[in-house]
Amino acid sequence: MHKLTENILDKLTIDYLRNQVLKNAYGNDDTVIAKLDPRVLLIWYLFFGLVPWFLNDVALLLGLFLFVVMTTRAARIAPLVLFLFCVGVFSQTGYLFIVALFFGGNAETIAPLLVMTLKVAVVSLASITVFSGLDPDRLANGMLWFGCPGQLSFSISFAYRILPVLMEEFQNILLSFRLRGNPPQKKTFIGKIRYLGYQIKMIIQSFYPLMLNTAKRSRTTVEALELRGYRYSLQNPEVKRMKLAMLRVTRQDMIFVVISIIWVAVCVAISAALQDML
Amino acid sequence: MSTIEIRGLTFTYPGAREATLRNVNVTFGEGDFIALVGNNGCGKSTLCKTLNGLIPHFIVGDMSGQVLVDGRDTKELEIGTLAAKVGYVYQDFENQIVCPTVREDASYACLNYAMKDYQEKGRKALTVCGLSSKISDYVWQLSGGQKHLLALAGMAALSPDILILDEPIAQLDPAHADGIYEVLKKLNEKYNKTIIVIEHHTEYIARYCRNVVLLKNGTVKWKLPAEEAMRRVDELQESNIFPPQVTIAANRMVKEGILPEETVLPVSIQEGKEIFGPWIKEKDQKRRNSEVKKKDEVMASFQNITVRYRSVKGEAPKILDDFSLDIRKGEKIALIGSNGAGKSTMLKLLMGLVHPESGTVKVKGKPVRNMSKEELGHTMSLVYQNPEEMFIKDSIRKDIEYAMKVRKIENYQERTEELLAMFRLSDLADRDGRLLSGGQMRRASLAIGIALNPEMLLLDEPTANLDIATRREIMRTLQMLKGITDTVIIATHDMQLVCDWAERIIVLSAGYVIADGPREQVFSDMYVRGQVGIRPPQIYDMGRGLGIVDSCFTIDDFMDHFRDRNREENREKDRGEKYA
Repeated sequence: MHKLTENILDKLTIDYLRNQVLKNAYGNDDTVIAKLDPRVLLIWYLFFGLVPWFLNDVALLLGLFLFVVMTTRAARIAPLVLFLFCVGVFSQTGYLFIVALFFGGNAETIAPLLVMTLKVAVVSLASITVFSGLDPDRLANGMLWFGCPGQLSFSISFAYRILPVLMEEFQNILLSFRLRGNPPQKKTFIGKIRYLGYQIKMIIQSFYPLMLNTAKRSRTTVEALELRGYRYSLQNPEVKRMKLAMLRVTRQDMIFVVISIIWVAVCVAISAALQDML
Repeated sequence: MSTIEIRGLTFTYPGAREATLRNVNVTFGEGDFIALVGNNGCGKSTLCKTLNGLIPHFIVGDMSGQVLVDGRDTKELEIGTLAAKVGYVYQDFENQIVCPTVREDASYACLNYAMKDYQEKGRKALTVCGLSSKISDYVWQLSGGQKHLLALAGMAALSPDILILDEPIAQLDPAHADGIYEVLKKLNEKYNKTIIVIEHHTEYIARYCRNVVLLKNGTVKWKLPAEEAMRRVDELQESNIFPPQVTIAANRMVKEGILPEETVLPVSIQEGKEIFGPWIKEKDQKRRNSEVKKKDEVMASFQNITVRYRSVKGEAPKILDDFSLDIRKGEKIALIGSNGAGKSTMLKLLMGLVHPESGTVKVKGKPVRNMSKEELGHTMSLVYQNPEEMFIKDSIRKDIEYAMKVRKIENYQERTEELLAMFRLSDLADRDGRLLSGGQMRRASLAIGIALNPEMLLLDEPTANLDIATRREIMRTLQMLKGITDTVIIATHDMQLVCDWAERIIVLSAGYVIADGPREQVFSDMYVRGQVGIRPPQIYDMGRGLGIVDSCFTIDDFMDHFRDRNREENREKDRGEKYA
């Protein structure tokens, strides 16, 4: 048991979290999903992110759920994100589902809960596929095409650049606190709670130096952006056209769309057939 | 092609009491390779910012006089037009890179200025800068030197006629520094660009630059051809610029009467051979080599360590492979090796920040894995490469006292005052560490590091980014750390620091220890030198070039070979002056 907790604690370091975030952001740029045209995916998301809310048929939702599970798999999402997804879904509705089962709920009480859980799950997984599986830069370009302002798409792309830098800096600042700090004893139960409180306080305090350091480094960034013509690009429609010129709908996109349509159609047909049988 | 002419330029930052630039008059011809030198705060960066139009278009201040690029006043030109003529690479170049991938960042400016062939331009710039193999990488995958080249490529892509670089090699090992300067040389000679560098490393100035401009108190003192400039030893030293060691040595020898009065001072080893050659008195003084004193008590040990990094994609690379090493109490160790050889990983292992895949790290006989960070904090202290990350409070005083205060150490206020005085920070005690100059920040981070009287001190690149005067100051500070903190490990590229201070040198290359011993042994091993691109001080190579058998690590060592034996007392006197 001791070994096990040690093992888990070993894994759950800031370093591990950092690696997971990096993996998610940069490690899956060669998947099928990442290579799709962002505009196609955004439209695809419009369907999978909205329509499930209006469906109440378990079979149909289950079919959609299976499909987004496959797209999530194809996008090679980092385990941490999936874990957070599971926690999220469970905390939304899943626990009610289990509680209902526990107190002898029958099919009638469980069915609506199952529907709700499935709805949340489908929408979340679709979001994860699009926003996490797609290279943020391509995502930004897709949004630019749909008329989002250039500042927004630049912010996404810049965040993508600066993220690893910030995470490393945060890690180092947190470490400064840990090495110089003096945490409460954690032998007793109350001590453990105090220790946890201390850790949380430290994490919160670490954000202040991080912000100040970021403010300091942004002075150069702002000047460099000016020199590199960022302001011009916002005023010049030609730049936007050039940026978007590389977006192209390919055969792969068509195949993806066709598969999605067929899958949904089959699901609808099956659920209709099941309804008829009942 | 462009020439720059500056006429009567005076500039005052808003809110500043005194002008940063005063009546600057200077001309930079086309195709020139110019070094801009001067002590900290003499206005070098400000002058460069007037060339690319950041002043007065972006940074508003009180400006009089004219800056003419190609005969046109920068006040009347737009920044965009100027950017196509003048490129600027910042000292903190990392913050200049704004795109996530190498390809995008190289072509970013071209895209913004709506150039049709922006991708082609970016690719070409990357090829010139030697980064074409990294084109599809993410920026964070690059090493420090490669990032610098990328920042340069991002500017070169616009094919400006003038490129300005602010301290391009401050954080690089010698091999990477050579790489940057070779690229600049190519841009200068083959593409006929004007290159302006702000530089402290005079050996590079002597090797690559054609002209030198000395700035002092905001005005141009002189502009001279590089060799002639380097020979003005006394004037340069007044401005905290240290000419190449051979030049300093010759200058001192002329003053001592060893060399004739009319000697033209050498600026390179080649010239040195001709000038010093006839005057050597003795090639072998049978000086005793320093030895690593065997100390018994083991402070820390690495036993068969293998470390992999978590990789984002594919197989995780091994940083250290079956690595073993003992560190004994009282040792002064310098850890050297090229960027990415595993130096920082070693320090992180000691602090328990990285856990090895196999093997054990022990500190005072106890495995690090079983010790809490706080417990480790009592025995050891790590001073980061980037001092900003050590400032967790809003004033230096609070930062220094933090560790003692939370541990409820008695009289912690007194000890804080002592430390502030020792590191000459008393006047700055209530200021935020981030707002100090580079040298002050470094001193503050050292004070924080030794506040708890750790037995062992780990320093990661303590002299990176500092000018030579400040580096000497840090070295003096290290000499003061006697007493409780007697085991010190420094990871560094600064060979002067290594030679002056270290008793034991450990050379890492690709995760292996390839040399371990005193300086004479490490530097005389040509294999080691070839492997990791470490370079001893110039004077050492000068001595070798003249066939001197003893190792010369300081100018004094070198000069001894030209002195009469009975002038030993002179030498003792000079030693005293050196530390004064």
